[in-house]
Amino acid sequence: MSETVDLSFFSMVMCAVLLLVPVLVASYLKLGVTRSLLVSTVRMVVQLVLIGFFLEFLFKLNNAFVNIAWFLVMLSAAVFSVLKSSGLKIKAFVFPVFLSLLLSNLFVVLYFNYFIVHLDFIFDARYMIAIGGMVLGNSLRSNVVGLGDFYQSLNKEEQFYFYRLSLGASRFEAKLPFAKRSFTSALNPTIATMATMGIVSLPGMMTGQILGGSVPLVAIKYQIAIMVAILASTVLSIALSILFTVNYSFNKAGVLNKSIFASK
Amino acid sequence: MELFRAEKITKQFSEKFVLSNFSFEVAKGDKINIAGRSGIGKTTLFRLLLGFDNLDKGFIYFEGKSLTDEKVWEVRRKVAYVSQDLNIGRGLVRSLFTETQHYKANLLHMDSSDKEILQQLAYFDLPESILNKNIEELSGGEKQRIAIVNALLLKRSIFFLDEVTSALDATLKIKVLDYFLGNDEFTVLYISHDTYLPENTSLRTLKLDENE
Repeated sequence: MSETVDLSFFSMVMCAVLLLVPVLVASYLKLGVTRSLLVSTVRMVVQLVLIGFFLEFLFKLNNAFVNIAWFLVMLSAAVFSVLKSSGLKIKAFVFPVFLSLLLSNLFVVLYFNYFIVHLDFIFDARYMIAIGGMVLGNSLRSNVVGLGDFYQSLNKEEQFYFYRLSLGASRFEAKLPFAKRSFTSALNPTIATMATMGIVSLPGMMTGQILGGSVPLVAIKYQIAIMVAILASTVLSIALSILFTVNYSFNKAGVLNKSIFASK
Repeated sequence: MELFRAEKITKQFSEKFVLSNFSFEVAKGDKINIAGRSGIGKTTLFRLLLGFDNLDKGFIYFEGKSLTDEKVWEVRRKVAYVSQDLNIGRGLVRSLFTETQHYKANLLHMDSSDKEILQQLAYFDLPESILNKNIEELSGGEKQRIAIVNALLLKRSIFFLDEVTSALDATLKIKVLDYFLGNDEFTVLYISHDTYLPENTSLRTLKLDENE
């Protein structure tokens, strides 16, 4: 297996020429996106160059504390992203959601590094940041769906929730069907992706590894492990997010506190 | 024996008063029809008594004790509530019954035997086969009766019934009202537009618009 071909300056110029296709089509059809297309391209380039230098620095330094610190930065960005799209009030949820994403992802990533990859240094930047980023990114999406769904459906179907309480259900018993549904809707996308993996799409991680010179069979094993890790961290992070926020979100009479929703 | 007592209760939603300075008492064995034009707060009254909503002013007592956030849990274990909302769950009818009976708070009384369930279904003109149907497939009238049977299987003696006969035909309406109003052991608060009254029943009507 050969190393990936590096892209020269000339290659990047050719890439810019390819960019002319969408730019010309967009401006010819007056799609109104030419400007944002160019701005986004510039943003992408700048951000990736910066992160490229930063990761090189991080990998060279390979210090456990620095790696954990960067992991926390990624995590914080993830938390805000979860809350912004879940319709829940950021102020009230930021701490418990941070804690649940931290515990579930840290556990899964360290488990992955120690028991699956058998790393001597489990905080190794290349694994901690790359694997961590992938697990986090995916469990994040599920967490948005899961946590948002739980509280939104409790609000929308409050009558059904009250009905269960009136039948004598405890707080836990009354909320159980809502929690179940939120787990299902969070897990479904990952389950669907796994079912078509390798046929419909080659996962990004595998593509990257193969380009990076890995034997496809090695890349496949990593891909399988990472999907399982994503499932595990999804289930853990939703369970913990609900667990850590549920007390705050209901009053003593078991009624949902409407102020947990972000005002629109 | 006094079960509920409300003293000068007031509830408003934004600018609109649904209950204002309203007082009443409910004693064991009472049969009370809650009446008043729509939007007057009939359902809100049930919600207040069950702790799903908070009072703006006034006091409610249950069995002589103030209805606090803790006390409402006791009410929910003693009152069988059938709401007009027919969202009673998903899945098999049989599972609804089983799940309800297996709530920790309901484990004290014995599980209803199949015989008991079948008797109740038969009384309300429901076939045995309905047990293996999905709740989602049922008609409004069937759901209403399943909710009633589910409430009866709890073997409680206080009932809050909110428009539980609205989707039923005349014969069934009478059957349902006979069942609840004709039983001396039952305390029944109900919202209904039916005027039918079984013989020898003393019914009280609580008019919510009287205080206006």
